[in-house]
Amino acid sequence: MKEPIVRMVNIHKKFGEVQALKGVDLEVYPGEIVGLVGDNGAGKTTLAKILAGVYSPDRGEIYLDGEKVRFSSPNEARARGVGIVYQDTGLVPLMDITRNFFLGKEILKKIGPLKVLDKRKMKQEVKRALDKVGIASIRNIDEKVAFLSGGERQAIKIGRVLFFKARVVILDEPMRALSVKEVGKVLAVVERLKESQIAVVYITHNIFHIYRTADRFVILDKGIKVGEVRKEDITEEGLINIIRTGRMEAIKKTS
Amino acid sequence: MIQVIARSIKRFPEIAAGVSFLVICVVFAILSNRFLTLSTWGEILATGAELGIIAVPVALLMISGNFDLSVGSTYALSGMVFIWALNSGLHPVISLIIAIASGAGVGFFNGTVVLKMHIHSFIVTLGVMMLLRGLLLVWTEGFPASVKGGKAAHPVLFGLLAGRIGRTPLRTSAIWFILTTAVLTFVLFNTRHGNWTFATGGDVESARDEGVLVDRVQLINFVIVGSMAAVSGLLEVGRMFSAFPTLGVGMELETIASAVIGGCLLTGGVGSVFGAFIGALLMSTVRIGLVLAGAPAYWYQAFIGLLVIIAVILRERMIKI
Repeated sequence: MKEPIVRMVNIHKKFGEVQALKGVDLEVYPGEIVGLVGDNGAGKTTLAKILAGVYSPDRGEIYLDGEKVRFSSPNEARARGVGIVYQDTGLVPLMDITRNFFLGKEILKKIGPLKVLDKRKMKQEVKRALDKVGIASIRNIDEKVAFLSGGERQAIKIGRVLFFKARVVILDEPMRALSVKEVGKVLAVVERLKESQIAVVYITHNIFHIYRTADRFVILDKGIKVGEVRKEDITEEGLINIIRTGRMEAIKKTS
Repeated sequence: MIQVIARSIKRFPEIAAGVSFLVICVVFAILSNRFLTLSTWGEILATGAELGIIAVPVALLMISGNFDLSVGSTYALSGMVFIWALNSGLHPVISLIIAIASGAGVGFFNGTVVLKMHIHSFIVTLGVMMLLRGLLLVWTEGFPASVKGGKAAHPVLFGLLAGRIGRTPLRTSAIWFILTTAVLTFVLFNTRHGNWTFATGGDVESARDEGVLVDRVQLINFVIVGSMAAVSGLLEVGRMFSAFPTLGVGMELETIASAVIGGCLLTGGVGSVFGAFIGALLMSTVRIGLVLAGAPAYWYQAFIGLLVIIAVILRERMIKI
């Protein structure tokens, strides 16, 4: 059995009076796609943001490759190979693809005492990276992001975390507001992540998007982990029932 | 065809400003035969430089999503401080540094309040504009100040700031204006700070998520604007050897107008430093051109107002295509 790349143990998080997470565990293995599912307010995004260094947990530990870690910022998490892709943010629509791709991580070159953007190198790297995630549909990397479709935007964001050597990629509702065709494109990118032995945490409350691709599901409900189940052991209807009732017994009724 | 023009205007927001500038030049050249002379352009560049050397950094600040309404007051403050320092017998270079530092200080204050207190820059700098103007009037009791001995007191310094270039009617301030534009254009397109400026104004949340130090970017731009408003005050002293506490009233709006004519959006994320350069030049051309054409100078404001509205309508329409 492979070692988990991520192990989150007994995570607690409170926002004011709201207990968002109550002792949640999560393990993710390399090359595995975990569907983190649950209804709205289940604590999925909070758990993901703790893993990505956006929030720090009130209690509980996070291990990366067996080593205990404590991220105080998303940059720290990113440096250790944990990348997160948000549904709405992450790209500046008015900027072109290349500038977005390297935003905050620009490649610089020295001209005398000055450090300037190495535009040529960045363009080359963007082309390579986008080919790798398999989005040939993007014609022009000088195009402003505002002109791209939702699916293309998600693909660029995923390509970006890959390029910056992420080993764990968290996708937070990446397909909300995407057309059926676009969903297929993004799923293809997600499958490529799996092929390159990257651990994927896929957050959604719409399991139809992820059922086909995921290997395992972790179900949260009101801040508590209801349970986890391998795909082989459950049907889509069964999974929906668990999410709806917040109880694992729901499996037995359908399978 | 229209699509192509719209696309190129969208890509290069300064095109619209450039075309209007040329049209206006042609019109004035027809109306007055003195328009296409070196002395006219010396005047256009000199007045354009004092406005533009502020408008150009203001464009940078607006791209990062902020306003600065205090630049007119800072301009006057710098001029008054500079004259006070010179007249107190301080070394000219020290006086220069004190004056620029006063502007940088105002910019730093603006930025700090905006970013730490999360108040919109429009309100903060409006307050600072009035505060500074009031303090200046209290300090000077409303009287203007002149450099003791006039030009002869510091001929080299004033010559460098805004003196005539050789025997031409052109002034050195034009060089500082062009230099400022060139440097900031380079910064905007070729440095990380420029990239971060666009990102911060375009989508501050996304920029922060990706590791852009959004507060630092904005603070730096506030300080640049404050410092350059102070530099402009120095140019004014270099040209007139005097200053008065109500100098630069209304200038803050002219800088914003220049930036908007040059393609800046009020919401940030879009704009052009070179566009603001043309915008400022266009405004001083209209000012001088109207006088040459024999029109009452009052037309200036009306004309600029119209231009700003047309520029914004053009921009908005282009964005939708």
